[in-house]
Order: sequence, then structure tokens, then C-alpha cells
Amino acid sequence: MSIIYRLRNIRKSYGQRTVLAIDDLAVRAGRLYTLTGANGSGKTTLLSILAFLTQPSSGELIYGGGPVRWNNASLLTPRREVTLLHQAPYLFNGSVAGNVAFGLRMRGIRGEEQHRRVEEALDLVGLAGFGQRRARELSGGEAQRVAMARALVLRPRVLLLDEPLANVDRQTSDLLEKLVVALPGQGTTVIMTTHDPEHPDRLGGELIHLVAGELAGPAPAAASPVKEGEYQKCRPLKKPAASFLTA
Amino acid sequence: MDFLIESIRTAFALIVSLDGEVVSAVVTSVSVSLWSILFASLAGVPVGVAIGVAEFPGKRWVITLLNTLMALPTVVIGLVIYGIVSRQGPLGGFGLLFTPEAMVIGQTVLALPIVANYTITSVQGADPRIIPTALTLGAGPFQSVRQLVAELRFGIMAAVIAGFGRVIAEVGVAMMLGGNIRGYTRTMTTAIAMETGKGEFALGLALGLILMSVALLANLFLNILQQR
Repeated sequence: MSIIYRLRNIRKSYGQRTVLAIDDLAVRAGRLYTLTGANGSGKTTLLSILAFLTQPSSGELIYGGGPVRWNNASLLTPRREVTLLHQAPYLFNGSVAGNVAFGLRMRGIRGEEQHRRVEEALDLVGLAGFGQRRARELSGGEAQRVAMARALVLRPRVLLLDEPLANVDRQTSDLLEKLVVALPGQGTTVIMTTHDPEHPDRLGGELIHLVAGELAGPAPAAASPVKEGEYQKCRPLKKPAASFLTA
Repeated sequence: MDFLIESIRTAFALIVSLDGEVVSAVVTSVSVSLWSILFASLAGVPVGVAIGVAEFPGKRWVITLLNTLMALPTVVIGLVIYGIVSRQGPLGGFGLLFTPEAMVIGQTVLALPIVANYTITSVQGADPRIIPTALTLGAGPFQSVRQLVAELRFGIMAAVIAGFGRVIAEVGVAMMLGGNIRGYTRTMTTAIAMETGKGEFALGLALGLILMSVALLANLFLNILQQR
């Protein structure tokens, strides 16, 4: 299976404090990873770097076979392939449908296709008929589901989830878990942080464990050296990589 | 006490009868203030957003400077613009002195730091997740800032209303650059100052009541928008 991310000697520091130090890590395309570690171990920083929202202080991040260039013009394409879902997602002022359609609008997808995909995504997270509700009036669990729909509607190549199951009720948690587990089968790479010790076993996939910003235990990269040509080239998908929206 | 009651009665009579002097002052005040706040917003909002979002050396100094400009006395602004637009000044050839245009220039300068500063405050107090959320959903840098502005629209509207409140209530710029010419550059505030000085307390009071009503309407408008 091809490699979608490769991190080499990545460091992130704030002043004198280094919060992340990863010597070598490879992330394979179409796999599920659970990212674990105590508070302050660098999980969120790592996700933010992988989402191209935070530039590492040093080191090289390779995405889709090429080194990431940290300037706004070069980052637009990879950012449109990778979506980060926060633990406490921010929903924009306006309707639920408006929120879910935001990323589609940014990609120039409008009209009937936008409407259809928004409806499908809301249906997928169990919020069919919520389109015209005001986003700010939703409960925490509903807001998390809208944020998930807003990410899924984009059919991302990589979905990064920052403790998406931490503050939601059991029903929402079960639903989101089911969606997350199904995604790799549709070609989407998923990296999910969690504090729940049962998640890695229950969800399957590979484990990345961080201790004080460093990889601990057998890292995925160390166990599987990457050969040249093994990277997944990033190009626009001709068809949606994920058929989960129509499943 | 009788004097006050009689003055209030006369003031209401002047308002209800649409007295020419009163109407002219109100129209001049409102139109000059609206043009001023339009220009101040067109410049001040983007400047405020840019300063609020960007990180650059000397940012604190720029904000301190804008804070200082907020406290500039209106007569000082009037004096500086007077020097620029008077016959001997660099823009003297345009014949702007004692025209509504000169008043608009002065009041724009007066409102700009207010609009910019309140916009900066609004941006700096914004939810830090707005821009990263927009970016991770595929927005470009400009689109993400546009989304930030959309999310902060009430704060920015408050900045504009604050600027409007400042310009419609000021006297110094209107007096020095407009010259208080009857039916042309006489505003509510310059008329109040002059009429009260002449002993026409009722007329001054009528204009004062209208001035307060305009301020009240502007704030009501903002409140209605915020509740939507």
C-alpha cells in the first residue's frame, strides 16, 4: 500500500520548548490510525501539521510523494485533500446546510450537486431534515455530527480527527465510530486521536503513540521502510474516492 | 421651570411643523455623516482586519498610534484639514473650504481610527478556530479572512455605528471646515451651538432632541440586526 505522508526529523518548538520531535514516520494511504498519548504529548500539534495548518519549526513533511512547500499558494491543493475535524468544532453562523456546503462552495460546487451532496452527508450522520436549522442552536452531539458531515461531504483523501468522540453521547459516538471505521475501505486515510484506551483495539488499524512529543513503541515507519515510488501521487480524483456518501 | 417646559413645547412644535431651518440642519448633518462613515468604513474596516489578522513587527506601535488618533480633538483635525484645503494649502485650488465636501474629508479622518480600532478589537477577540476551520475546509487565505469578516459582522457593524455616532455628534470639524453657512453647511451641532448662543434655546433643544433620536435609531438598527 502506498505512502501518503512521510515525516522526517519534524520538530515543532515554541520558544525553547519543543512540543513535537518525530524522526521518521510513514502514514500509508487508505489506512486507519489511532493516535494516542497523554495531554500535551503533541497529538493536536501533529494533526495540525498534517493538516498543513501549522508549519513545523524544522524537518521535512512529504505529502503524496512531494515535499510540502509552506506558502499559501502551494498549500491550497493539499489542504483541499485533507480535512481536520476538531474536538470542539466551530460551526459558522447560519444554517446547518450552509455549514455543510461551505467546503463545496470553496471548490466551486454549487446548485443541484451541492444540494444533493449536502443532503446525502446530513443523512449519513443521521441529521436528515436538519438543513434549515440554525447551526448555533444545536446540541453538542448534533454539532459534532454536522462537523463530520461538513468534512465527509468533501470526500477527503485524508480525514484527521481530533478526539471526535470525547464529548458526545453514546448514540453519536457509535454512529461516528461506524463512519470512521468504514472510511479506509473507501480509500480515505483516517488518523484519529483518542484518550479512550479501548479505541485502538476496537477500531483496528495502526497505533501511533506519542510520549512528550516523541514516538513511543513500534512506529509504523520503523516497521515498514518505504521504497521509492511507493508514494501515492496526489491528483484530483476523477470519481469520489469514497462511495460512503451513496452507500 | 416654566422656561424649560415652554422651550420643550416650542421644540416639539418646530419638529412637527418641519421648520425649514431644522430640516436643513438635519439633512446636512445626516448626509455629511453618512458619506464620512462610508469612506471611513471602506478604508477602516480592511485596515482593521489586516492589522488584526496579520503578525508583523511594530504591530503594537501601529495599534497604539491608532488608539492615540482616536483621542484627537476635532478642532485639531479641523485645523490640519483647514491648512490643506484652504486657499494657500496644497488642495487650495479645489475650493473645498467651507463646503460639505471639506466636512466629509475632516469627518472621514475623524472616524477612520475609530472604525479601524474597533474592527481590530473585534478581530482580536474572534474565535481562534474560525480561520483554521475555513482553511481546512478548502478556503484560500483571502476566502478564510472573508469568512472571518462574515462571522464578525456584528462587531464590525458596531465599529461603523460607533464611528457614525462620533461624526454626527462632533462640532469642531463641521464648524472649522464647513463654516456653519445657513442652508449649506450648517449641521445640527453647529446650529445648536449658534442658536443657544443667540438665546434661541427652543431651536437648539429641538435640534438636540433630533440628534439624540438619530443616535438612538442607529443603535436600535444595530440591536435589531444583532437579534436576527
